[in-house]
Amino acid sequence: MTLLGSIELKNLSFGYVKGKEIIKNINVNIDTEAITCIVGPNGSGKTTLGKLMVGILKPGSGEIYLFGENMAKMSLGQIGKKIGYLFQNPEKQFFSNTVEDEIKFILEIKGLNKEYIEEKVKSLLNLFQLNHIRTSFPLKLSQGEKQRLALAAILANEPEYLILDEPTKGLDIGLRNSLIQILKNLYDKGIGMTVMTHDYTFINQVSDRILTMYRGEIVEDKRNEY
Amino acid sequence: MNIDPRTKLIIVLCLSTLAIFIKDILFLSGILLITIMISLFFKVNILQVLREIKRLLYVLLAIAVIQSVFSTDGQVLIGLGKLTILTTVGVQKGLEFIIRIMIIISSATIITTSNSREIIQGLVQWRLPYEVAFMVSIGIRFLPILREEIKDSIVAIQLRGIEIKKTPLKKKLYIYSYLFTPILVSTIIKAQKLSMSVEMRGFRAYERRTSYMVLRMSYVDYLIIFFSFLCATTLAHLYIDQSVLTLSSLKRMSYFVYNSIRLRKFL
Ligand SMILES: Nc1ncnc2c1ncn2[C@@H]1O[C@H](COP(=O)(O)OP(=O)(O)O)[C@@H](O)[C@H]1O
Ligand SMILES: [Mg+2]
Repeated sequence: MTLLGSIELKNLSFGYVKGKEIIKNINVNIDTEAITCIVGPNGSGKTTLGKLMVGILKPGSGEIYLFGENMAKMSLGQIGKKIGYLFQNPEKQFFSNTVEDEIKFILEIKGLNKEYIEEKVKSLLNLFQLNHIRTSFPLKLSQGEKQRLALAAILANEPEYLILDEPTKGLDIGLRNSLIQILKNLYDKGIGMTVMTHDYTFINQVSDRILTMYRGEIVEDKRNEY
Repeated sequence: MNIDPRTKLIIVLCLSTLAIFIKDILFLSGILLITIMISLFFKVNILQVLREIKRLLYVLLAIAVIQSVFSTDGQVLIGLGKLTILTTVGVQKGLEFIIRIMIIISSATIITTSNSREIIQGLVQWRLPYEVAFMVSIGIRFLPILREEIKDSIVAIQLRGIEIKKTPLKKKLYIYSYLFTPILVSTIIKAQKLSMSVEMRGFRAYERRTSYMVLRMSYVDYLIIFFSFLCATTLAHLYIDQSVLTLSSLKRMSYFVYNSIRLRKFL
């Protein structure tokens, strides 16, 4: 049975090179209304799992069901309409010449109305404290600024679900707290997320469920009680 | 078996020179076959190379049509009134182009089976200044990076909910042209970072460099080089004469063999 409000990983295996599996037969049901944290040492396969969950990588074997639909049959574009994905290295997701365009361009391509776009860009720049650098080149920003811009650009799409690969990395305490606040607000609006992280402050504050990965397997599955 | 990067360079030079200078489609296909066999020998992932080339099929079509419309040779295959859309000559030109590109790309990937350090060393031992050799090898290294960069950008755009396959052509072209500048700029930034880190580690600190790694050609290398030259000139000859070996071409060939032996000493 497949559940509508979930991402379901079934017998999922994957390896970059033949014979060396990085993800080993993972079976898990992720509730898309909750916040799920994935923890584990470097190299345990968190990023790889995230990339599989958004279709950047194709499973070696097994299936992924996104809201009940087999992801193998969906295009990246269709997945992208539902899920917002933050790359571990946010540089990888920039394709514009200015901070502002990074948010704007996609909305324009989608043919949304001008006033809506202006309004959206303005509020996101404010929310993520990017106003003072709106005309900078994205790749020349500091790590924290890149992280915030990448998130802002993702949220412009109003995704139903987020997959965030180490979102608090490179942020100082102030910025991190404001990010946690933003994510909490999104959560209150009904947007669930999977977050790969090492940040225990973050985990303790917001997570509903913690999956621990070790060498490509999920070795612990814990619900967080507040 | 470890083949010297210089040997690989010579093979590639022979193959791509032939590809550029031969116009006969049969000859070209023969050379392509040879190229593929050599690539397999060097354990190049030829399927992947061919998959990459598949995307050039549009160019093949474009060339075939353009050649057909603007030249009057050949038999008309498809025509609209007086306008010829596809002729035999057009198809032939298109095929020639694609085969040529296939030869050049798959032979060039042979070099990438050596690591960049070996390639630099090979060029340096050919008396090329170290800076130039370094530049060449960085150039070879940067091409795949550029390709990755383009791929990443397209993945990123799709992940923001753009269904690129369903986008109308005009908009698609607009998106691609939009990507051009950022990709160029990011590549330049990468190059700047690279040059900085290279200078920091004392690149060009001294006039002369000594290397821990010294390449030595084995007799296998000499043999391969010799056969590459031999095959290349034989093919070129066959192509020029379009006749089976005549006495004069045999004479010229033996002269060439003599020259290659001299070249061997030089190397
Ligand atoms: N593109 C790649 N090609 C080959 N191996 C990779 C690639 N990306 C990651 N790996 C390997 O996969 C393993 C898991 O990496 P990753 O998913 O990034 O772990 P994590 O995010 O948990 O630190 C590591 O051993 C890493 O070396
Ligand atoms: Mg990671």
